[in-house]
Amino acid sequence: MRGWWLSFAMIALLDGVQGLAAQQGPSGLTKPGVLPLFEPARPRCAVPADLVKVLAFAQDNERKFMQGVARGLQLAAKDRGLEYRLTQAANDPSRMVEQIRGLLIAKVGALVASPVDPVSLAPALQQMIWSGAYVGTVVPPPATTILNAPQYLTGKALGDEAARYIKAHLNGKAKVVLLTHDSLQFLAPRFTAMRDSLKSVPGAVIVADISPLTVDEAGGAAMMRTILIANPDIDVVLGADTVVLGALAALREAGKARDGQFLGGIDGEPAAVEEIKRGGPYKASVSLASPVFAYAMGQYAADWLDGKSVPQAMDILPKALTLQNLAQYEADVADPASVYRDSRRRDEYLRMYGNICYDTRDQYLNFPWSSERK
Amino acid sequence: MPISSRFVIGSSAILLVIGFLTLMGIVGSTAWLSEKSNSYIEDSNRSRALRVSAVELRSALQSAESSQRGYLIGGNEVYLAPYDAAKAQALTQFDRLRLLLPPSAQNAIVLERLSKVVSEKISEMDRTIALKADLRDGEATAVFRSNRGKALMDEANLFLSSIIRQADDRLEALLNNQRQNATWLRLVTIIGGVLIMLVVGGATATVFRYASEVARARNELSLLNVTLEDRVARRTAQLAEARDRAELLVAEVNHRVANSLSLVASLVRLQSNLITDQSSKEALKETEARILAVASVHKRLYSGDDARFVDLQEYLSSVLDNVEASMRGQGHVASLRYELEPLKLKTDSSVNIGVIVTEWVTNAFKYAYPDKPGEVRVRLRRLADGKAELSVEDDGVGRADGPAKGTGLGTRIVNAMARSIGGDVEYVAAGSGTIARLAFLAALEG
Repeated sequence: MRGWWLSFAMIALLDGVQGLAAQQGPSGLTKPGVLPLFEPARPRCAVPADLVKVLAFAQDNERKFMQGVARGLQLAAKDRGLEYRLTQAANDPSRMVEQIRGLLIAKVGALVASPVDPVSLAPALQQMIWSGAYVGTVVPPPATTILNAPQYLTGKALGDEAARYIKAHLNGKAKVVLLTHDSLQFLAPRFTAMRDSLKSVPGAVIVADISPLTVDEAGGAAMMRTILIANPDIDVVLGADTVVLGALAALREAGKARDGQFLGGIDGEPAAVEEIKRGGPYKASVSLASPVFAYAMGQYAADWLDGKSVPQAMDILPKALTLQNLAQYEADVADPASVYRDSRRRDEYLRMYGNICYDTRDQYLNFPWSSERK
Repeated sequence: MPISSRFVIGSSAILLVIGFLTLMGIVGSTAWLSEKSNSYIEDSNRSRALRVSAVELRSALQSAESSQRGYLIGGNEVYLAPYDAAKAQALTQFDRLRLLLPPSAQNAIVLERLSKVVSEKISEMDRTIALKADLRDGEATAVFRSNRGKALMDEANLFLSSIIRQADDRLEALLNNQRQNATWLRLVTIIGGVLIMLVVGGATATVFRYASEVARARNELSLLNVTLEDRVARRTAQLAEARDRAELLVAEVNHRVANSLSLVASLVRLQSNLITDQSSKEALKETEARILAVASVHKRLYSGDDARFVDLQEYLSSVLDNVEASMRGQGHVASLRYELEPLKLKTDSSVNIGVIVTEWVTNAFKYAYPDKPGEVRVRLRRLADGKAELSVEDDGVGRADGPAKGTGLGTRIVNAMARSIGGDVEYVAAGSGTIARLAFLAALEG
């Protein structure tokens, strides 16, 4: 996840850098704008010529989230009769660039990438697009289909869950800690959303709204120890799963962890899910179902190669995992194909915007897209 | 049920005690609540001062940080003066905060940590400013980019926010206590007021009821008095009627007795007229005179206003006129003269006096002047010491020492009559004649 955020953080630098790159094709849509909803029934386009029916995944690292993406893509490729290839960059940007150049030379018809360094990778991705290949990215441009998560909605999902819990179980009163992530500004809407949700509970007081020095378990634990000095009784802790897990450890260490507390995170980290299953203070984790959106991207890659119109952008909708819905979520993640086929369930996870196909590939997105842009 | 004055006094005393206790309760509660209020105000002031100190410290740190950033960006020394002022203010406020923060184990830890954070923050700012001043911009930027300054500021904010929140919570709690105090004060005053009103109402009701009952009793008494006067008047009228009836009856009786006696006297006279024997004739004549004397009393009685008393002047005049007429009718030639002072005497005594004077005047006519004319003088006068004197005086032949003339019955009657009224009889020779005197005790009325 951290690599994804870092990629996204560098998006802002893209606009300046891409102008310097040698132009061998259209620059795509560079002016940030709002996309209409995706129309599946758009007329067919030409089928990409001279491209092999291969779906490749340029993976930045092997973290759990990206493993889910790989699995979803692999399942889609299998279901649509595409060859599936996986390249691992191991967080090395130049290696990823080289790997993608290799795919370009091999005339790979579809690529999904999770860029290690969006700025350095952008030219390679553009060349893939110009070759007529389908290019999907997890968050940063350029891409024919950009996958993003609505940050405000993600924070809102967690904030609303916490607000519900405070009203239902804490008599509407709670001392709340927000562990923010100030080093990544694009994540700020998450915390804005949490603050907005908590405004609906007048008795909820944010006693600490602070960013840990490092966004990991150790950082979360250290910050929580400091917070406990100033505020010994805490009822709610919200933040990214990793830091909240660290905060939980600090609470346990201080003997201040109670089952009645509400600790909730974002990312659906396995450790967080385990804590939820245990039924302790960890009550929720907002997850982005990576196999589900990856499966959809694999399907759209196959559609592109068949000459069909595909979405220009896709939201993976946040899902607040609780003890009550965890089993269903795990079932959905295990079988993303059934979710994709069931439009009702698919709409719970995905929302698609804009239309693009082989013939209109010059309209690829070359700006940091977000559905929350007004 | 009527209420007694004892009840009024007792209940009034109880109500006064209740009213007094209520008043004492209100005064006591007010004093107690005021004392609590003062304590809350002191606490509030302390909490407010703590809050102001924490806010000022935060503001001073932020000002110092802004000045530091300004100097680091442009190297303009215009930022250093406000930086120094903000730093001094921060240190002053921290010392003040240290004094104002309530002592507790938790606050000691907070102060220790905050002290380190503030010191480190100020050191970090001093260090970067010094590096910039030494034209070591790269090192200054490196320190700045470490984000340690932000982290320290965040941490300071965390503690200061906590202190501010504590002060706010305390202020809110104190405000609630004050509000509760005011509610209690209002409640006590209202309840006390209601109690006092009830006491006053109770006392007023008791007094009004008592006054009403006194007025009713007075009215009833007045009504009884009016009835009593009515009854007395009616009874008096009945008594007066009974008296009038009795008087009428007495008068009637006296009239009948007088008539009967007159009838008896007439029978005696008829009898005497038929008798040829002179001595018997005279005896009957004397008897008739005596009967007429008694009858005369009764005539006076039934014609008078008061049956209990007889006007001797009138009565004796009548008796003497009858005796004189009777004597003249029998051929006696003496003349009768009388001087009677007005005098009233009891009826019984009057009869005796009438019989006695009849005897003495008859004797004088018959025996004092047997063969020649003379004067018989009757006098009735008052004596000293409530006594009266009746005297019959003649200038006749006088009382001889020889045997009594007549039958002697007259003398016995006179003596008997005189004794019955407590009188003293005396016969005194006066010149040739005789004076017969009767002094008697009687309740006399003029």
